[in-house]
Amino acid sequence: MLLNVKDLSLSLKKNGKYATILDHVSFQVEKGETVGIVGESGCGKSMTALSLMRLLPEKARLNGEINLLDENIANYSKRKLEKIRGNQVSMIFQDPLTSLNPLQTVGTQIEESLILHRNMTKEERRTRVVKLLKDVGLPRAEELVNEYPHQLSGGMRQRVMIAIAMACEPQLLICDEPTTALDVTIQAQILELMGEIKRQTQMGIIMITHDMGVVAEVCDRVIVMYAGKIVEEGPVLELFQNPTHPYTIGLLDSIPKLGQRKQKLGSIPGTVPAPGNMPAGCRFAERCRHTMAICRTTVPPMFDIKTGHQSACWLFDEKGGDQDGVVRSDELETALHH
Amino acid sequence: MHAIQFVAKRLLLMIPILIGISILTFAISNTIPGDPARLILGPKATPEGLEELREEMGLNDPLYVQYGRYMGGIVQGDLGESTYSQRPVLNDLLRYTPATFELTMFAMVVTLLIGIPFGVISASRKDKLADQFTRVFALLGVAMPAFWLGLLLLLFFYLKLGVLPGSGRLDGGMAPPDYITGMYTVDALLTGNWPVFYAAVMHLILPGITLAAVTIGMITRMTRSSMLSVLKSDYIRTAYAKGAPENRVLYGHALRNGVMPVITLLGMAFGHALGGSVLVESVFSWPGLGQYAVNAITYLDFPAVMGVTLLIAVIFILVNLIVDTLYFFIDPRLKHD
Repeated sequence: MLLNVKDLSLSLKKNGKYATILDHVSFQVEKGETVGIVGESGCGKSMTALSLMRLLPEKARLNGEINLLDENIANYSKRKLEKIRGNQVSMIFQDPLTSLNPLQTVGTQIEESLILHRNMTKEERRTRVVKLLKDVGLPRAEELVNEYPHQLSGGMRQRVMIAIAMACEPQLLICDEPTTALDVTIQAQILELMGEIKRQTQMGIIMITHDMGVVAEVCDRVIVMYAGKIVEEGPVLELFQNPTHPYTIGLLDSIPKLGQRKQKLGSIPGTVPAPGNMPAGCRFAERCRHTMAICRTTVPPMFDIKTGHQSACWLFDEKGGDQDGVVRSDELETALHH
Repeated sequence: MHAIQFVAKRLLLMIPILIGISILTFAISNTIPGDPARLILGPKATPEGLEELREEMGLNDPLYVQYGRYMGGIVQGDLGESTYSQRPVLNDLLRYTPATFELTMFAMVVTLLIGIPFGVISASRKDKLADQFTRVFALLGVAMPAFWLGLLLLLFFYLKLGVLPGSGRLDGGMAPPDYITGMYTVDALLTGNWPVFYAAVMHLILPGITLAAVTIGMITRMTRSSMLSVLKSDYIRTAYAKGAPENRVLYGHALRNGVMPVITLLGMAFGHALGGSVLVESVFSWPGLGQYAVNAITYLDFPAVMGVTLLIAVIFILVNLIVDTLYFFIDPRLKHD
């Protein structure tokens, strides 16, 4: 097991009060596996990524375990974390325009990871930097080394970010919306590059995105998050064909599909509850069309749908329907048919 | 190429600025009530003698004629003759400027060495004890009047503890080093005259700190606010994500980005220190431009006042030009635009 996250909870201080951002998030990533984390803005997917890197604001409260190769890094000291970051775990950020230091050359910025983590001579580093630039598909690598970020296009800068992340051949790569800031053709190129890297290395990848298309393209498994909790998890094909949680269904319904003439795209009514003001039961209850009495009072655990496919919805409780007198099969019928 | 054009443009712009300053100073000095001729001849002067001297000094001509005559001289390198010291103003300026320049440069070095690290620490420890301390310190520096701080320092380090000298540029009876630049520390260093170098540095400490107090405060505050915004940038997060330790991130990535507005302010601070030298030099009997200017104003020595003002203006503009040119070396984006 490459990464095993257990009951990860995160609170951030806002206006003098701690608000829960992540609530008992648990998931695993195997070697060579790409796991997508999806959900709308503010659901905690980026915060999950930053928690894994421990790149959180200073007043953050983090509980739970982050086991990287059976070592819990959740309470590592600063110094120990510095040894892991950029070395065993790397991260690619959303906006390549602002994620590179404007005053340093591309070469210097890629080289920095090597200086920090590898015992190499100047020439060895230089050779490695040029090779990395070629590996991420950048032309004129030798000249590029001495150029500054402002001389490159957005797509090229994201390739440089990938080169930085790949410099020390990490075991885990976390991508936080790596294609969101790029235009569509460049997006496809970057995704293709990611797929290639994935095939060549045995790296585990966490792909954070709100774009179901990206998920379908590169992910093996998907985790759906809503308001700081995981609501559904499963293999990518299974989840697309057989979504079970009403939120996942709504999410998939809001994507336009080719060849399907629809008057109106599906949308989910209402808004995400604010952190620090979470309802007692299921967090989606307010917006769900299948809400039952138990949904408002008790947080649903993850129910097994199939092997590897789990859903946090009372609709799938063996005895759920009986508890509050709603006929479960009817609800499920509508839910699945939708 | 870009940088050369920029410098040339700024040098040309200096001309109208200097003309403006000269007109302003000339007008102000000539509207001050008081009669230079009477000050020179003293209380027992006869009306005829006064009239004769006024005619001789050209004080009876209309103001614009006097101004034209003065500017005509300047173009030929003649700043007029000081009515008080009876020497050419240019000679006086050459004699007093190195002392002031040395003191101001010393204050600037102190400012940089203290102000920038203080600002960085303050920003990286935001709202913690170190931050509160540096902020109070900076505020005190900005708020404390220089002459008062100078007196306090004198009282404590010179009178009470006796560890630092309190006046002049060298110990009494010590011969100044051979004249090369006129700055004693530099000249002593160049000629290898260590006792004089030591004495010159010791004499610089108290007036230098007094002069630097305000500018340290300015620079600390600017560094802090600039660093705070830089530290929120995505590329700082990238640096941490690479596994860079905090000091490497602060001084390797953040400071170079955050130092731009600080550099601009540094030019301003230099001008501030140059102006502040008038007070500080009086407190510490520092024989520089400031003292010369105070004397010149007291004796209505107009050519000297004009000379000092124009010289300070030129230094100020040149220092700011140098400071602005530094941008081209720090920010690669300016080179390629």
